[in-house]
Parts: sequence; structure tokens; C-alpha cells
Amino acid sequence: MAVAIEHEASIDAPAVKEWQPRIIAFLCNWCSYTGADLAGISRIQWDPSVSIVRVMCSGRMDPTFVAKAFELGADGVIISGCHPGDCHYQEGNYKTLRRVHLLKRLVAGFGIDAERIRLVWVSASEGDQWAETANDMAREIRSLGPLRLQT
Amino acid sequence: MTATDEARIGVYVCHCGFNIAATVDVEAVRDIAAGQPGVVMARDYEFMCSNAGQDLIKRDIEENGVNRVVVAACSPLMHEPTFRAAGEEAGLNPYLVHIANIREQCAWVHQNRVAATAKAESLVNGAVARVALHEPLEATYADVNPTTLVVGGGIAGIQAALDISDAGNEVYVVERQSTIGGMMARFDKTFPTLDCAACILTPKMVSADRRDNIHLVTNAEVEAVDGFVGNFTVRVREKARFVTVDCTSCGECVTVCPVTVPDPFDEYMSTRTAIHKAFPQAIPSTYTIDRQGKPPCMEACPIHQNAAGYVSLIAEGRFAEAAKLIRRQNPLPFICGRVCYSPCEDACSRTLVEEPVAIRSLKRFAMDWEREHEPEPVPEAPEHDYSEKVAVVGSGPAGLTCAFDLAKEGYKVTVFEKHDRLGGMLAVGLPTYRCPRPVVDRDIDYIKRMGVDMRTGTELGRDFTLDELTNGAPGYEYSAVFVAVGAQEGIALDIPNEDAEGVVTGIDYLRNLNLDLPQETGPRVAVVGGGNTALDAARAARREGAEVTVLYRRTRAEMPAEEDEFDDAVAEGVRFEYLVAPVEVLVTDGRVRGLECVTMELGETDGSGRPRPVPIEGSNHEREFDTVIAAISQHPDQDWSNTPAGEPTVLTFSRWGTVEVDPDSLQSTIPNVFAGGDAVLGPATVVEAMGQGRRAAEAIDKHLRGLPLDGFTSHMPSPDPRYGFEERPYAQSPEYADIEKAPRATMPKRPVDIRVTDYDEVDLGFSEEEARSEAQRCLHCGVCVECHACDDVCAPKAIDLDMEDTLTTLEVGQIMVATGFKTFDATRMTPYGYGRYPNVVTSLEFERMLNSTGPTGGKVLMANGEEPRAIGIVHCVGSRDEHFNRYCSRVCCMAALKFAHLAIERTDADVYQFYIDMRAFGKGYEEFYSRVLHEGSTVIRGKVAEIVPSLSSNGDEPHLIIRAEDTLIGRFREIPVDMAVLCSALEPQADAEEMGRVFSLSRSPDGFFLERHPKLDPVGTTTDGVYIAGCSQGPKDIPDTVAQAQASAARILALIGRGEVLIDPVRATVNEALCGGCKTCLSLCPYTAITFDEEKEVAVVNEALCKGCGTCVAACPASAITGAGFTDDQILAELTGLLAPVGTR
Repeated sequence: MAVAIEHEASIDAPAVKEWQPRIIAFLCNWCSYTGADLAGISRIQWDPSVSIVRVMCSGRMDPTFVAKAFELGADGVIISGCHPGDCHYQEGNYKTLRRVHLLKRLVAGFGIDAERIRLVWVSASEGDQWAETANDMAREIRSLGPLRLQT
Repeated sequence: MTATDEARIGVYVCHCGFNIAATVDVEAVRDIAAGQPGVVMARDYEFMCSNAGQDLIKRDIEENGVNRVVVAACSPLMHEPTFRAAGEEAGLNPYLVHIANIREQCAWVHQNRVAATAKAESLVNGAVARVALHEPLEATYADVNPTTLVVGGGIAGIQAALDISDAGNEVYVVERQSTIGGMMARFDKTFPTLDCAACILTPKMVSADRRDNIHLVTNAEVEAVDGFVGNFTVRVREKARFVTVDCTSCGECVTVCPVTVPDPFDEYMSTRTAIHKAFPQAIPSTYTIDRQGKPPCMEACPIHQNAAGYVSLIAEGRFAEAAKLIRRQNPLPFICGRVCYSPCEDACSRTLVEEPVAIRSLKRFAMDWEREHEPEPVPEAPEHDYSEKVAVVGSGPAGLTCAFDLAKEGYKVTVFEKHDRLGGMLAVGLPTYRCPRPVVDRDIDYIKRMGVDMRTGTELGRDFTLDELTNGAPGYEYSAVFVAVGAQEGIALDIPNEDAEGVVTGIDYLRNLNLDLPQETGPRVAVVGGGNTALDAARAARREGAEVTVLYRRTRAEMPAEEDEFDDAVAEGVRFEYLVAPVEVLVTDGRVRGLECVTMELGETDGSGRPRPVPIEGSNHEREFDTVIAAISQHPDQDWSNTPAGEPTVLTFSRWGTVEVDPDSLQSTIPNVFAGGDAVLGPATVVEAMGQGRRAAEAIDKHLRGLPLDGFTSHMPSPDPRYGFEERPYAQSPEYADIEKAPRATMPKRPVDIRVTDYDEVDLGFSEEEARSEAQRCLHCGVCVECHACDDVCAPKAIDLDMEDTLTTLEVGQIMVATGFKTFDATRMTPYGYGRYPNVVTSLEFERMLNSTGPTGGKVLMANGEEPRAIGIVHCVGSRDEHFNRYCSRVCCMAALKFAHLAIERTDADVYQFYIDMRAFGKGYEEFYSRVLHEGSTVIRGKVAEIVPSLSSNGDEPHLIIRAEDTLIGRFREIPVDMAVLCSALEPQADAEEMGRVFSLSRSPDGFFLERHPKLDPVGTTTDGVYIAGCSQGPKDIPDTVAQAQASAARILALIGRGEVLIDPVRATVNEALCGGCKTCLSLCPYTAITFDEEKEVAVVNEALCKGCGTCVAACPASAITGAGFTDDQILAELTGLLAPVGTR
């Protein structure tokens, strides 16, 4: 039933066999996911190396998820929630903010560049900001190169 | 089905026509999905959301045993409900259906087909891995409370409220202004039909008011919203309007209110009084008092005398009322008008313009006027008739104030005074050139007329004891005692030979003169000290013909005496010597012949915050004097408190000899004995002592009525009386810097050479004209000055200045937000000169001008009152402008055409329009445009560059020149006009961001509230149960606003009709076996849904309160909390699927 397609190293233009990063983005349902949808509705282009995982609140973001993403081959992780003060759940984004500070210091201890984790605030009306975030992160990760975990 | 069932997953990839298929190779995605573990069926289809597409899913569930579904299509925010319902119809639990978003977050945002296809494959892989671990969830339902909240009482809110109440539901309308009606109430005519706005609006307002099931909450704001769709809890603050519902709207109050301020309803082009009704047809018709805080002068006063009130009445020439108002709170108005140290003037906001209002002198003026015109003012009858008797010991300012207040309350009061003359320090310590004897007597006589029994020549401790007073000895049946014996014992200099003849304390010197007791004054007098008593003694000694020298040990800067008194003393020839202190009285034959003094220098700062004077060694020198007056300080004597030998003293005293009392209630160690004034404070000022008397009276009243005295903080002068607005006295006032300066008036004084020969009063008082013009300098901080004039004329007694804000909690099912707009601040568009040229007006100002109830009664008039000869109407001011707002405000073109029509109708002016594009898109709009063109309005297509003032060729007739490019003829044009009307943009309310937070509303980049979908859900929001309508969602005209309001109402009624709302089962649960009881989760939950079971030592989630955010799930160190629908396993599986190398499995 499956039709085999050669995908290895062909994520971007097939002619260019260069390395492509993989970036996981955890987006809260109410602001950021809706904002990313708005980018889509408005056809604002962003880098295909970013894939979105929907969570109800950025506060759901368990540090384990980030660790697991890196372990599974992600080169970068974006966490995006509602702007401070705008959280659908009142204050989940503040909890995230505290966790991400700690998490960045923790991964740095494991030799992972803290820049590979980025926390941003994107509202439901900020489709262009989401696209800009995704593109900027992709640029950053491309300049950092692939994440090589010592296992 | 249970989770243990083997997952049989069906994957359905949607083409969405070309929307997905153009960028994503849907067949390739389907084939990759087909190879994933657990996938038993993989299909692609052109439109999965069509019935045929849904049938594919249903059939596979029913016939092919599919028990998990992944739909790769548009965003779950679009069609998740559709596909879940399809699954449910086929018998599948809806939560076993999952969406992979390959349209909004893939096909639409990527152009490279290979990359987009690979990403779509990853997204589907993630969804497949995730859905395999999905468990069936049961949604719950909650009842919908049919009561609805409408926020904003403009035409949108009124219309929605009417529609919802029509169906028999309760509606609360919360409106910020004092009336409903919103912006529409301020318009004259409406385009294109030229209906009178009021004529079509007011019937709806009246209808909303009449209905039993519509509750109008005006002057109110929503502070917080809690809960969820169907069951919101809303906290509303209804601001005090200080007029009760008993108001009959007769308008008598307006005729007596002395305060006029710019009227925001008329765009500040007219004025209104502090008590007002926004417009004649306002609903509710109850008047409102504009009260933006308390006047600082009143806040600073220890007796809370409302200075702003009597000053405002004096400004209007209502002197009798001013005097009556002063008497209302002040038992010693004549004395205060002369000798108060006037903390009110220190707090006066006029200081921020130039100098404080001469409040004390104005009080003196009002009281002197009363003395001239009303010889014996009659006190009002007491409020109650209490049987309790209260004894007041001491007839100084503290005692008299306490007696006045208690008598007013209805108690029987007896005042005991040891001297033969009443008044305490006022009688014995105050020289008559400052406060003449008849003035003091007039104040005291008034208190006597209130029924206060005054007994002179009876001294506590000599004629009766405290014990007798407190224990109801025969003749002394008092329920409470106020001890205000003052601090009348002069403190000695503590130097050798002080008891020599010719040495006297300042207080004794003044008392002897005042009471005509023998007192010798030598030709050369030394006064030691720098306080008010020292200066009083010095000036009195001048009047006794002596040459007077004041010796002060610090410098002028540290001298506690008041500025005025010092100036007067210098003028009267009193000499001052600083940094000098006596060390010994030089004596000949037991009589003073001089002082040995020492020169001082200033050292480090001491406990009083002033530099400590230090003697310079070897600077001793002798000075010759005949009389030495020691006026360094006073302290209370304690002889009166003597208890029989052997018995303990029940009162306690500080080391300064003052009575120790509770600082708030002034209650002493004996429960029914209170003490105040100088006896507690030490030597202080008249009004401070009065403040103590007032506080004691209130405490005694409470005590006698059996109320507790805990937390008693009444009548404290505010430590920071400055009014809340920093740059202006009240919200609609110009800033302090822009207020025209007017110098403070000074009272004339008697010539120095005459006044030092007698004891007659030095200051001569204001004339009526001087008083009125000085009083007109008052800025009316906070608008209402609390003069109570409205209170006096209100027949139904509807005025309540003590009214407080009310906090109400409303339980409602749904909320409609229609909070409207504000207009663009045209001063920001500097080239157009608004705010600089008086005849450049905004559209709203022009609108008010056209209105028959507006500032010009419906006439179009320039600032000079003449009719303009030409009017230029400028479109797009602040709209369609990169510098301000990029959007079109949608109403201005049509409003401008309406203005043109009305201007042509009502004036002979030529009317020009300057537009960028004429937007006449609505029903009948284009026709209206043609009509106005035919009526003779000239239209010029081009954005105005600037508006400048000009003069005609003969040098007069000032007018304006509008400069613009006419893009249709390609020429630059200059049009002379008399008036320019700027059609200002519509902008989000200033607090839209804050309101957005309260109601959990998102805002679009232009700042207006964001609808759920721009086309398909223009009134819904991302928060279920909250709807938006009108200009809070974006600029729109009245028909569109009403349509949106009715749409919102329909949505609200639909849910009320259904009666229940689905509660998403995304909830947290605690696995008790894993929970370690660390309580980390407890503090994280913003809904306090997590509690701790002390017995089991585990956390417990209250499902009814949990909103499913998952913050606790993420934080649980034991992974004991599971978030249904978003479990750790599910998300980790999604990550595994997403990150698996595509195409290699």
C-alpha cells in the first residue's frame, strides 16, 4: 500500500542536498496557535522546518518535552504563549516563563546551546509575528548547525 | 471500547480543492500514512468536510472496524467539531478523532512542494502516533444561565438588551457613563435618511428603562469576569452618583450649584454644573454629581472644613450661605478666620499655578459679613435627644469643639472652665490685636445658644475631682468626660536667678495682659524663644511701649513662628537676634538688670530635624534688659489629676506631662474618660486642638451608643491631601500650566505707627469685591466642592454625599461587549491647526453645534459668534494615514456629506469637501452623495496638506486657508474658509487593552476587539459565550452596529434556547497512587481547583473548577497528574511521530 518516496535530505528543494534543521514549536491553543492559523489564512510564508504541536496553554509545556524533542532529533524548540497579562488561563504563561529560564540554564549544562530554546509571545492577531518568529528561529538554528547529542 | 483495544487507525487526507493539493502531494502523504503502525486504512479525498467525505469516515468505522481517526485537513479550530461529530454518528467516541493541520500550518505557508509534502507527512505521522494512545472521553454538560450581561449602553447594547429581553430573559446593561445612549445620543441627524438621532434613539432608551427584565447599571464598570460560557460570575463596580433614585429630575439643584466646569457631553464647548444630567432625555433621569475625589483643602484640614465649598459660594456672592456652610462644621469660625495656621492653603492646588487661594481671609470675610448682616444666627436643632450628659473640662478650642459636636448630636454638655473667662488659650493666650475679644465671644455665644452649659471659675482638682466626674457623684452625673485642660504652664529657662523680679513666662505675660492682671513691662524687654507665643508676647510688649528684642538660639530658617506673624512683628519694630541664648539672669537687688548670653553656632541635626545649636566657648557677653519674657514652650500641669494620697493614679502621663490616650479614639486608661487638645498633643495650634475635640466627640458618641472603638480613624487630616490628577485639578480641566495666572489678594492692615499704640485688630479684611475675585481663583479640584447647596434645595432629599461605590456580583450565562470607540485626537495632526485656531473644529464638535440641545442651540457659529461664510470639511483625519491609523473609519465620508447638507440647509456658507476616495457603499448612500452634490457642495479630491490662518487683502477679516492638491485637475489649490471641520478617525477605547483582559478578548493589530472569524463569525470571540458588537469591534455606522447587536442577541438567544453547554473533558486528574503530596501543584492553579486531602496526603482536583490548562500536569515531579486529551504519553508520541525520519519506516 505504501508508495516509497525518497525523502532523505530532500526536505527543501530537491536539488539542494544541504542539511535542513528540524524545529518543534509548542503553541498554546488560544493565542499562538490561532496566530499561526492567521498566518496561514493570510498566506504569510514561513520556514517549513518548523512543525507545530498544539497544547492548551504554554503552561502545559513540560521540560521533559523539550528534552525528548532534542533526543528525538530536533535541533531547536520554540515555545509560544499569550502575551503577559493576556493568558487565557490567567497566568500559565508566567509559569512557562519561569520554567524556560531554568530549562535554558539546565540544557546549557548538558552542552546544548541555550539559543536552541526560544520562548516567545504571539497573540491571535499576530500572524506576521508568528511567521517572523519561525523564520528567525530557522535562521538561528541553521547558523548553529545540527544538534549533536553525545549518547 | 477501551484503550486496551488494539488501535485500528484510519487516515484521511483532504485535498481541500487546490488549497492543500496544490502544495502538498496528498497521495504521497496518504501512502506514507498507510505504512505507519496501527493504520488500517488511508484515503485521500477532495473535500473531507463534505457529506461524502464524512461518509468515508463513517463507513470505515462501521464496516472496516476503524477505531481511531486522523483527518489531515484544515485547522482543528475550523473542522474538528465536524469530524468529531461524524465519528460520533458512526458510534465512535469523538475524542478518538484527531486533526493534523496541513492547510493553515503547512500548505498555505510553504511554497516548495517537496518540503511541504515532507512536513505534511511528519504532521500526519505525529497525529497517527498520538491518536493510537487516545482514550475515550466523556464530555459533560452545564446548564446555561439565561441572564445576560450587556456591557456598553450605546445603541448596540440597547438593541441587544431589547431583543434578548423580548424573549423573556433578564438582561443587565452596564454602562460607564451616567446615562445610556452612547455616542448616538450626541448626534443630531443620521445619514442618509436624515432621521433625528434622538427621535429614533430615545424611544428605545425609554423602552429599555421601562422593562422589568432589563436592569440598567449606569456609572458602572465591569471589574472582573470569572467562570465560563453559561455560567459567568461578573464583578461590577457601580460608582457613587451621590444622588439617590428619589431624584425627581426637577433640576432645582442645578440652579444653586456654584461650580461650573466644561461639559464633556458637548465636547467641552459649553459648561455644566457639578450636579448635572448629561442631556435632557438621559436615562436614568437621576442627576449625578461629578465628584472626582475630595478637595485637598478639605482633606488637609484637621476638622475637615470644606473650604472649597464656602470659597465657591463667596465667588458667587452668596455670603450668607458661605457663612452658614462654615458654621456647619466649624464651632469657632471667627477665630479660625483670623488665627488658623491654614493647612488648607498649604494643600491648595492653586499653588501649582501661582499662589494658594487666601482661604483663611475668605473665611474671615464670610464671618464678618455674617456679623454685620445677621446679629444672632440661630443654631439648628440637634439631630437626636439623648439623655446622657457629658462633661468637658476646659473651654479651649478642643473642649469647645467637642461640646459643639456633642450638643449637635443631642447630648447634654457641661463645660467647666477654671478661669472667669471662657476660651482657654483663645482667651488668655491670644492677643486681641490678632483676635479681638468680641470675636471670641461671638463664637462662644453661638455654642451657648446650642444649649451647652458653661461654668466658669470651676477648676478640676480644686472644686471637683476626676473621680467625682467619672463616678457620677451627686451633681456630677456624667456618662463621659472629655479632658481638654490644655498646656498652660510655661517651661522655665532653667538658668540661674530665673526667679528674679521682672522675669516672666510668655504665657503668664499674655494671660496677665488679657485678664487685666497686674503686669509690669520695663522699657527694655527681652523675649527668649522663636515660636508663636514668643512673637505674640513681643508684639504685645511693643504695645506696652517697650523696646523689644527677640533672642533665638537658632536662625530665622529654623524659627517655628508663622511667616505672617514674623513679618508683622518686624514691621512693628521688634528686633530679632539669632544664634544667641541666655545662660544667666543678671540681678541687682533681686530685680532683673540684664542677661548673660552666649553666642551659638549650628551643629548636627537633632531629633526634631533641625540643626542643634552649640555654644561657642568664650563668647559670653552681658546684655541689659528690664523685663525678660521666657517663651520657649509650655506643658500641661497635672495638678487636676491628683488623686487622694495612697491611691494609685489611674490616668497615665508621658514624660512630657501629656495624658496618654489611644491616638485614634483619644480614650484614656479610664474607659469613659477621653482627653485631647494641648493636654495630649503638647502645645499645638488652634485647629489641631479642634480636630482632637471633633475626634473625641465622635468617639464619645460611639462609646455612649455602645459601639466598639476599634479601628477608629475618623477625622484624620490626610497626610497627602494632594488631589489625584497630577497635572490638572480635575479630568476635564486645562492643565495647571495653561491656567491663567491671577495674583493672590492680600488684606489691608492698619498703619504700623498707629497699631503699635493699641490692641485693636491689625488686619482689616476684604471688601465684597476683593473677596469675590479672590474666591474665583479656586480651581474646584475634583469638581464638587461639597457646599451642600443642592442638598438644601432638594425637595425629595435625594442628595447623599456619603454615598459609596457599590460592588455587585452578577451571575450571567453570556456576555455581549459593545463598548464603542473614541475619536482620534486631532491635535496630533499638527498641520491642521486643531487646538491652535479656534475655528478648526472636530466632527464631534460640529455635530454638537448642529444639535438643538448643543452649545449653540443648533446654529453653526464661529468662535466670535458669527455665522461662517465658507466651511471646509476635511475627510480622513487620522484614518487611511500611515502615521496614525491605516484603516478606513468607514463613517466619515457619509457624516461629512451629512454635515454639508445641514450646513447648506442652515447657513448661507459655501461648503467644500476634501476627500481621498468617496466611500458611499451602503443602501441609499450613493444616492445621498448625489443629492448633496446637487445641493451645491463643492467636492475636491485630495488630501489636505495644511490649514493656515490668513487675513484678507485689506488686512482684516481673519480666516483660514485650506491647502490641498486637487488630484482630479492636477493642481494645487488654496481655499479660503471661515471654519474647517476635521472628520476624526474612530479609534479603540483608551482602555480597550484592559477591557480585553477582563473579558478574555483578543484584539486585532488596529486595537479593536477581534472577532472569532472575519467572515463567518463576526460577532463571536475566542472566548465562548462572549460576543462583540458595534465600534468596539471596528469602525462602523449605526445600521451595521444594530445588525451586529441583533446578531449577537440571536447567538445569545440560541444558546439560552438550547439550555445547556458542552464542557470540554480536557481536565486534570490526580493518580493518588503516584502523588507524593509535595503540594507543588496547589500554588500553580489559578482557579484554586486543586486542594490537598490531609488524610490521604494527596492532591485532589475539583473537576468543576479545572479549566484544563495543564500547568499542574507539566509541573508534577511524580507525573501523578494526567491532563485528559493532552497526556504526557500522547504528546511524547506526537513528538516521536513528528521527528521520525520521513519515508524510511
